[in-house]
Amino acid sequence: MSAYGLFLVSGLAVGALYALGGVGLVVLNRATGFLNFAHGAIGAMGAMTAWQMAAWAMPEPVVWGAAIGIGALLSLLFGRFVAPGLAHREPVVKAVATLGFAIALLGVMNLLWVTTPRRLSFTLDGLFITLGGIRITGTRMLAFGGGLAVVAGVTILLVTTRVGLMMRSLADNRPVAALLGTPVLRVETLAWGLSGALAGFTGLMFGGLVQLDPTLLTFMVIPVIAAAIVARLSSISVTFAAGLLIGVTESMLALYPPLAPFRSAAPFAVAIIALMWLQRGRRLTFAGED
Amino acid sequence: MKKITMTLAGASGLLLLAAMSTQAQAAPSCGLNNGQAATGEPIKVGAIVGETGPDDFSSAADSAAAYFACVNANGGINGRPIEYIVEDDQWNPEVAVQVGTKLVRDDQVVALVGSGSFVEMSMNAKLYEADGVMSMASACAVSECFESRNIVSTNEGPLPSSVGAAQWAVANLGSQNVVCIGINIPSVGQYSCGWTEKYMTSKGLTGSSILLDLAAVDLNAAVLQAVASGADTVLVNLPAALAAGFLKTVEEQGLKENFKWISSTPLYDADIPGLLGPGWVDVMHVNIELTPIDGTGEDAVNWRAIMDAYAKPEDPRDTFSQSGYLSAKFFVEAMLELDPAAIDRATVTAAIKGIANKTSDLLCGPYYVGDAPTHMPNHANMMVKVVADGFEVVGECTDVDSAYLEPVRAAEQALGIGG
Repeated sequence: MSAYGLFLVSGLAVGALYALGGVGLVVLNRATGFLNFAHGAIGAMGAMTAWQMAAWAMPEPVVWGAAIGIGALLSLLFGRFVAPGLAHREPVVKAVATLGFAIALLGVMNLLWVTTPRRLSFTLDGLFITLGGIRITGTRMLAFGGGLAVVAGVTILLVTTRVGLMMRSLADNRPVAALLGTPVLRVETLAWGLSGALAGFTGLMFGGLVQLDPTLLTFMVIPVIAAAIVARLSSISVTFAAGLLIGVTESMLALYPPLAPFRSAAPFAVAIIALMWLQRGRRLTFAGED
Repeated sequence: MKKITMTLAGASGLLLLAAMSTQAQAAPSCGLNNGQAATGEPIKVGAIVGETGPDDFSSAADSAAAYFACVNANGGINGRPIEYIVEDDQWNPEVAVQVGTKLVRDDQVVALVGSGSFVEMSMNAKLYEADGVMSMASACAVSECFESRNIVSTNEGPLPSSVGAAQWAVANLGSQNVVCIGINIPSVGQYSCGWTEKYMTSKGLTGSSILLDLAAVDLNAAVLQAVASGADTVLVNLPAALAAGFLKTVEEQGLKENFKWISSTPLYDADIPGLLGPGWVDVMHVNIELTPIDGTGEDAVNWRAIMDAYAKPEDPRDTFSQSGYLSAKFFVEAMLELDPAAIDRATVTAAIKGIANKTSDLLCGPYYVGDAPTHMPNHANMMVKVVADGFEVVGECTDVDSAYLEPVRAAEQALGIGG
């Protein structure tokens, strides 16, 4: 395989992580209107809990379950006890509240786990297939396959189930959906739990495939948001595609030495270009958009 | 902001009792070593550490605090205790300036000893020079730390450590082409990897660099870049956590056997052999800026004894801890030469600049300060390799061969130090 092929495959593996994170953000935003800046911190807490379980020699299913379970629990706690109080506030107020939650979680993690190099390893790390000269480990395949499965699952949930219908109705017009009898709290709680579980899984993947560091994982939400922004926080499938595109772009830039040291900026460059493309031909007027 | 202000004289009695109960094997030795607690007017000494943030750079100040506690319990500075004020810059340049100004202008410290930071030195170097205060730092990582008139560090930083590792690999592993994997911060990654490239070129060999952001995600791409560089040797010049991620990716790709492996000091950490796993035993060679932490020399034994007696059990016993111990020791020795009634910032600064030809089994060469625009007294280092239960020395003390050191060697010649 050519160098381009190698970097493409490598980029898809990184992109799958961005995509997974982005899908979790979009699911929550569609149902609740929250842009959750704590998505990374919740994932970090899941990954650190998983590391702790592994350090205590717990079986691997428990380690995985702990990451996903802690993610869902933390998200549910915020969604059930804090978010309802902000339901009628502006999106920016909601977002800032989640930022506060992220910083609080980061503080707890720094308190519980002093700064030291750590590594998260899974049985799947030892399994691999070779594709054109590059090894794809089981964990990377899981991240990619998990991402595809999540996209398919969430799409089916939103399109074919009653809960999905209610989520979509809340996203389209929240006051009207509530008037029509949509059980807002129940639907939102489900969305928070689902998004939290996805955050836990994403944090576990990031922790295992990149670095296990609470601060790094907490702020990984920023490039992940770029993937969600490309999809305008609404389309699950576009978010997934955007995540993959960002990962591939970031990886491919390594082939161009002048830009290689700056390739971490790829998520934001892709998001800016995509947003400029998407708003082409539109103008703002005093009355609103054309 | 975390603020640790310790009036150590008050605690010295308790610490001494603790020391007596736990120390049968080695008695700590420090300062006047007379067993009498210092009760005079405290002398304020500061330190700035990057404790809260991506990494904890406070272990040098921990060991300096332990040394000062020992000194205060043993006669102080001719009867005057040291009041050691440690501030956390939180890896935030703005906070670094705030706490630097507080220590220098508000607290009126006579000097800073044992500082360890990624940002503090760059931000406060001009303040120290303008206010005539010296910083005897212990954990420096950025170029500004070694290129300032009023900062002198006991550790040697990433440049000599990286060049020293490459130099050893050329001599002992037959390396012809070294790729340096560094972090994308000009005063750290470009500074150290850049001079490693220059070293390789100066020997008619090949060197290149791959620079990663601290939050780099695409470690796979970095590994592929290393392959594309055509190097036969990879120099890992990364913080330990990022290095662990990079090396895990190398193992996943089955590329470990394709290269010879060397690293700068960050991988010299007691947790690293376990973290990397058995695959890196006898494979990874690490440069160390001071001598091994399990050394048997006088200072090596005394450093551990002082840590056991006066530091917290959880305080790290690492290279930066050794470095903090030495900074504090050399500072105290200089202070003891002064008239205790005439100790102020001017006399202390002059005393520190007068430090020359100090030796220790923790260092490969002499320590000195002098009055020069740059300071890098420590520029010789050793090599160890990762073994199953820790590290094993594979390269004895060797001076670093780099054109970067030409002004340093000129200053040494003027002071009559070295050859």
